[in-house]
Amino acid sequence: MSDPVDMVDGPGTDTAGAAPDRHDQQHRAEQDEPEERDERGGTMLLARMAEAVYWAGRHLERAEGTARIVQVHTDAHVDLPVGEDVGWEPLLAIAGVDSEFAERYQEAEDPDDVRAAEEDVIEFLLHGEGNGSSILASLTAARENLRTARPVVPREAWEACNNLWLGSHDHLHEAHSREGRVLWLRRIIAGCQCIHGILLGTMSRDEAMSFLVLGQNIERADLTTRVLDVRSDSLHHPGADDPYDVVHWMAVLRSLAAYQPFRRAMPARPQGGSTLRFLLQDDRFPRAVGACLTEARAQLKALPHSEGAQEACQNASMVVAAASVARLTVGGLSEFLEEVQLSLVEIHQRVDDTYFRPNFVGWEPATATQ
Amino acid sequence: MDPLAPPARPGAGTRAWPSYDPAPFFDELVAPDGAPRPSAEALWTYFAELGADALAERQLAADREIRAIGVTFTVYDEGVGVDRPWPFDIIPRIIPRNQWQVIEAGLVQRLSALNLFIDDCYHDQRAVSEGVVPADLVSGSPNFRRECVGVDPPGGIWVHICGSDLIRDDQGIWYVLEDNLRVPSGVSYLLENRMVTKHIFPEMFRHYSIEPVDPYVGRLAATLASVSPSTGDPTIVVLTPGIYNSAYFEHAFLAQQLGVELVEGGDLVVLDDDCVYARTIDGLEQVDVIYRRVDDVFLDPEVFRADSMLGVPGLMRAWKAGRVALVNAPGAGIADDKKVYSYVPDIIRFYLDEEPILWTIPTFRCSDPASRAHVLANMADLVVKPANESGGYGVLVGSQATDEELATAAKEVEDQPNRWVAQPIIKLSTAPTLCDDAVAPRHVDLRPFTLMGPDGAYVTRGGLTRVARRQGSLVVNSSQGGGSKDTWVVDAPGDEPS
Repeated sequence: MSDPVDMVDGPGTDTAGAAPDRHDQQHRAEQDEPEERDERGGTMLLARMAEAVYWAGRHLERAEGTARIVQVHTDAHVDLPVGEDVGWEPLLAIAGVDSEFAERYQEAEDPDDVRAAEEDVIEFLLHGEGNGSSILASLTAARENLRTARPVVPREAWEACNNLWLGSHDHLHEAHSREGRVLWLRRIIAGCQCIHGILLGTMSRDEAMSFLVLGQNIERADLTTRVLDVRSDSLHHPGADDPYDVVHWMAVLRSLAAYQPFRRAMPARPQGGSTLRFLLQDDRFPRAVGACLTEARAQLKALPHSEGAQEACQNASMVVAAASVARLTVGGLSEFLEEVQLSLVEIHQRVDDTYFRPNFVGWEPATATQ
Repeated sequence: MDPLAPPARPGAGTRAWPSYDPAPFFDELVAPDGAPRPSAEALWTYFAELGADALAERQLAADREIRAIGVTFTVYDEGVGVDRPWPFDIIPRIIPRNQWQVIEAGLVQRLSALNLFIDDCYHDQRAVSEGVVPADLVSGSPNFRRECVGVDPPGGIWVHICGSDLIRDDQGIWYVLEDNLRVPSGVSYLLENRMVTKHIFPEMFRHYSIEPVDPYVGRLAATLASVSPSTGDPTIVVLTPGIYNSAYFEHAFLAQQLGVELVEGGDLVVLDDDCVYARTIDGLEQVDVIYRRVDDVFLDPEVFRADSMLGVPGLMRAWKAGRVALVNAPGAGIADDKKVYSYVPDIIRFYLDEEPILWTIPTFRCSDPASRAHVLANMADLVVKPANESGGYGVLVGSQATDEELATAAKEVEDQPNRWVAQPIIKLSTAPTLCDDAVAPRHVDLRPFTLMGPDGAYVTRGGLTRVARRQGSLVVNSSQGGGSKDTWVVDAPGDEPS
């Protein structure tokens, strides 16, 4: 029986999913009866809720980022003559799902035709089975996490996310044509922005917000490095006077909503060096890796027990700040970006170990640590 | 009615739904002569002016809103949980305030007596020694929790939140059908139904003075805080079985409305000091009050089901030591049983020395030989129910059963008479309901929620009206196609007496 208004809540036999090991819970701090309880009654944030909002932040960012990249690539494709066609594979590389895609689609195709078909790539990135990072999979994950975190996020934000999720499914069939796809993607981007707007405008700057913004910025930084990485090839082999070089770099900037801010900040036309410098080291553009790391560290500072994660964040910042862009345009960009990505993984790991694992450092009565 | 006859009452001439005929049932909005009841006149006129198409459009708007804001319940289909939008019928049900005041007093009376009964069950059992109820009713009940004997929850209150089911018969008489003293659901839908109604019929609120339902959340918060064992500002949490529970929407809704954390068993731990702590990002924080939406047997694997992953080891120890309040208290289910139900009028007289305000449906206890003989002889005219189940599980409606089903039930009654009770079939009242674009009478019940703490009691103004959407059906459960209605307690002129 599963009627919510049948008198008794079902025991929910299937709910063990997130239950941590009981033995870890038995780990107990030796302590006498708590004396001071002065912090009681204020806001507390469950570790599990923190994890849910952190992942909601990451998945929302991933959905929006992927939507923007697909949209810009579709636009750029139109600008390029047939011979200059870069194909649709770069999208798979940016999303980091090339092997998953190959597994699903390539075998069935004509072995002589190694190029991935546009409709296959798009389908895979929008909602493909086996692609856990597809736009719909990301939205679904964001929605599930916000649903878990409903008590700590504004009601309007949850509703906006739910609405976006419903609409994205309802209109999915329209996304198969290029024209319909543009509208569908625009709706995704606007929907994600709407959720961010609600959060910024109505959510208290509390610990839950810090976890959300933290997740968002780690994901953003990661996405920026992946977009740059895929373009690093063309960076090293520019045709001497390749007329499409500018088109490529404009696409990179647009993929990250960075074109207009770039033009305002940089006098140069978009080329490898200036674009790299902007997207790596600018501290004012919110999708530049450096700015993301600054923001992430600011959020961590507001959280208890965050020293380790802050340190990892600072290390990543230093790697990015110390990079010589002039040298990277000549070679080694891919290796450098990998180093940055690993430092992002390290931040995530520290956050995960500190707050989300059963034996995290604060695992003792708060009253005893004061 | 003769179409040429002058209208008997204002409103009867402009019939909103000309073919509407609830006979032979009592209808909540429409009198037997086809005219609206006095409290429904303004609604009637409004719907007559609105017209059928506009009404259907408003229903669509309501459905869209419910979907968008994510009011859902979960049904299980072959083991997979699917979220369904909450089914809502836009035509409200109206209850005059003078009637409601009587019901309110009756519900508070009933819960006061039941709390005294539960407390007695786990202490001296005076009701048994003084012959009000048989001993077997208490110590022989599967809902009797030995672990609770001798425990003194604050104010002697075991049930702080109760969601009674009320029905009306063909004379319009109100009955309590079930008391629902364990972890009753539905209050979130009551609150959301009102919000949706405000959005789709904002004009109506000008014609009526409707009792607000929103104060419930504040009263709930106060009730929870009032049982805290600590003197400071209490830390309150809602304990849910998890995101896959059918009522998870409500658990999250209540936590959000109360501004408290929504915890699962794994988020809590009981230490050697018998205190309960929540795992937060800043270490463990002590919890004072747990509004638990997990059934008794899953609460504490150290005491009840050892395989429960939903509970917290040591929780009962903490509760018995008085370090944490559990709402509702474990063991409260002892009074939530069809056999105890049949004794409630006596229980009220015994503990309160008052006559019951609300009717209890006459109940035949099959353990009694004379009653059993009556039940077996008249099964087709009775509802046969398992004594210890709740929420419609295993209920047989004699008039709608096949011969085979009747024979099976008769055999079960003969084999295990103790397990069964029977009641006359009540002809449930109806209310106008939008069905496939036409408005037709459908059976309804009502679930108000009663709060009780050491500082006093509170009853929701109205309750959650559930409606059976199929013609003739008595099944109001949402998992089986039932819908719901907003319920207005109104200050209306010319109220009919209850």
